[in-house]
Amino acid sequence: MSQSGARPDHRLADRRHPDRRLPDHRLDAEHLELGGGLEVLLAAALERVPPGGVLEVRTPSRAVALELPGWARLAGHEVVGEAPAADGTVVQVRRGRTARVLAAPLPRRGEPPPLRGGGELHTADWRGGGPPAAADPAAGFAPLGALPEARTSAYSWRLSDPDEVWADDVGELVEQASAQQWDASREIPWSAARELDDTTERAVAQVMTFLAQNEYAALYVPARFLPEVNPQLAELVLWLSSHVHDEARHIEVFTKRALAGGWRGYALASTELSLSTLLDERDFTNASLLLNVLGEGTFLDLLRFIELHAPDPATAAAARLAHRDERRHVHFGVSHIRRAIASQPDIEPLLVGAVEARAAKLASLSGLSPLVIESLTVMSSRSLVPAELADAAAEVRSLMATMQRNRVRRLTACGFSRRTARYLSDLHSPNLM
Amino acid sequence: MSGAELRLGAVSYHPRVVTVWERFRTYFADRGVPTDYILYSNYERLVEGVLDGSVEIGWNTNTAFVRLDHEVGGQTRILGMRDVDLDWSTVLVTRKDRPLDGVADLAGRVLALGSRDSGHAAILPLHYLAQEGLDAGTQCGLIRFDTDIGKHGDTGDSELHVVRAVSEGNADAGVLSAAYFSAFRADGVPQVADLEVSWRSPPYYHCNFTVLETFDLELGERWSQALLAMDYDDESLRPAMELEGVRRWHPGGQAGYESLRDAMREQGLLS
Repeated sequence: MSQSGARPDHRLADRRHPDRRLPDHRLDAEHLELGGGLEVLLAAALERVPPGGVLEVRTPSRAVALELPGWARLAGHEVVGEAPAADGTVVQVRRGRTARVLAAPLPRRGEPPPLRGGGELHTADWRGGGPPAAADPAAGFAPLGALPEARTSAYSWRLSDPDEVWADDVGELVEQASAQQWDASREIPWSAARELDDTTERAVAQVMTFLAQNEYAALYVPARFLPEVNPQLAELVLWLSSHVHDEARHIEVFTKRALAGGWRGYALASTELSLSTLLDERDFTNASLLLNVLGEGTFLDLLRFIELHAPDPATAAAARLAHRDERRHVHFGVSHIRRAIASQPDIEPLLVGAVEARAAKLASLSGLSPLVIESLTVMSSRSLVPAELADAAAEVRSLMATMQRNRVRRLTACGFSRRTARYLSDLHSPNLM
Repeated sequence: MSGAELRLGAVSYHPRVVTVWERFRTYFADRGVPTDYILYSNYERLVEGVLDGSVEIGWNTNTAFVRLDHEVGGQTRILGMRDVDLDWSTVLVTRKDRPLDGVADLAGRVLALGSRDSGHAAILPLHYLAQEGLDAGTQCGLIRFDTDIGKHGDTGDSELHVVRAVSEGNADAGVLSAAYFSAFRADGVPQVADLEVSWRSPPYYHCNFTVLETFDLELGERWSQALLAMDYDDESLRPAMELEGVRRWHPGGQAGYESLRDAMREQGLLS
């Protein structure tokens, strides 16, 4: 720096005279420039210098030496001296005393999570053993394992206590959800949906419309909880996301099947009433019981029935693929409720109360819409011939009994007594979902 | 606003000024020296505001401070300044592929300057270059980017124009603050990649909190103590301090304004 003629004020920082203290560390910048990687090298070198310590930077470039003070100030450090050297300039940078990141220091490198056969890193293995501890509601958008930087305006998460949301096998379920994704445009033999007669196709269109209508509720319920789950409970975030994505595809496939034959169905008011009560529930565990265990559980039997009695391969394929996803959702629900009942003995009356409260809201519903029952029957009989209709009607009656039996079985698996399970099953919405 | 509140004037060179002073206002109240802020659109109005008593404290640029101090015959006091204000400097930048062989080599070339009321991007560079033996006004072709007149270069806008002019070859060299040049580099402003620093001015002081000499000594002392106690490692203060570009406040002083005082006199800016 040429300063001939300047009148340097002795009270201002004069960088021409190097700090007499020995530098704590030395760095040879070689031919690196600011903007070309030197700042990365400087940051790494300064990390090893204690606050207030001095890093001596050797650079062959006069331009770099002239630019370093501006960089240092911006980065919270200070150039305290510079001197010509045989091969360029030596600039002394004193490390600033303020913390670069307002957080605890990073822990030492630890043991990495285990890999499974073939080098796979599974979600169930990434945190290592047992459910997580309660997460800090104010930890903000901190990924699993990350140290959150302190700040005052962090997003606060309503669902931070694992007891409110956790299921012990949620990691495995997330893994399955990823592995079992499918494509509703390409994996269904859509051309097969164009061949049915008017009567059968109209019945299929109504059943598919009913399914699609219900799947909207199955999507919106987890979607409403999703932005409330603390990122520290990452498995839950992934799980609910996969659930929402599954339901989006169910909506897609059943809507496509409803449209694929050219008929239209009704979106029924009774279904609407039943679904709106699902969205009213703001407690995660209550919602899981109502949606995953009771609603989607009942739908498992319905989807299996449709797959077996489908009049065309497109309808069968749609029901089969949706059934595979719904099994995961029901598994999660049973697992979560079982954990909740086992760890919080006083939760059972609250769960019963939630089912009762919903049933009270649905008091005006006397049963599954006749239109849906008729459509299921015609879809199965594929005709209006009396003898064939009788068989199909018997199959549909049998389905209702199967649904009731399996609901009780699932509720028992959750940890309810057989008596309570029967009571809750009876209270469940006649709309099925 | 109660009568006991101090009134501090600042210039609204960017919307973030509101964010900064909303936080600092709460901070000063918590420290027992309640301070409200009043925003001006330019530093000339702020200086008038300090002179006519509309505000007691002015958050001044160096140019505004020198003018205010001149108006009252040196009867001002400084209550504090940022760490960065203590060693502000100006850099001369050139294209890497068109290097400059010293300041004298600028003669006959085109020099880009920031806003004419900016201490760091116009007034001081001309002064320091003159000390190096170059009368840029007569020996160079000057391009001035007067894009933020009244803000004294606070916006950085005119300095961005300087950088672009040099990068695009419309000027052979340009002057701007080292702080803005480094910030442009850190922000990845593409034109900066072509440029290097060819010269750097001696250090000088930049902004400060100014009061008139008549301001209550004890109150000024308490206000300074509160200012200096701001902690960058306090998570509730860091965002505002980052926006203000300060990590630590200093008591400051008058020493670093001599060069600007000289420069403004030379350039007829102090009447």
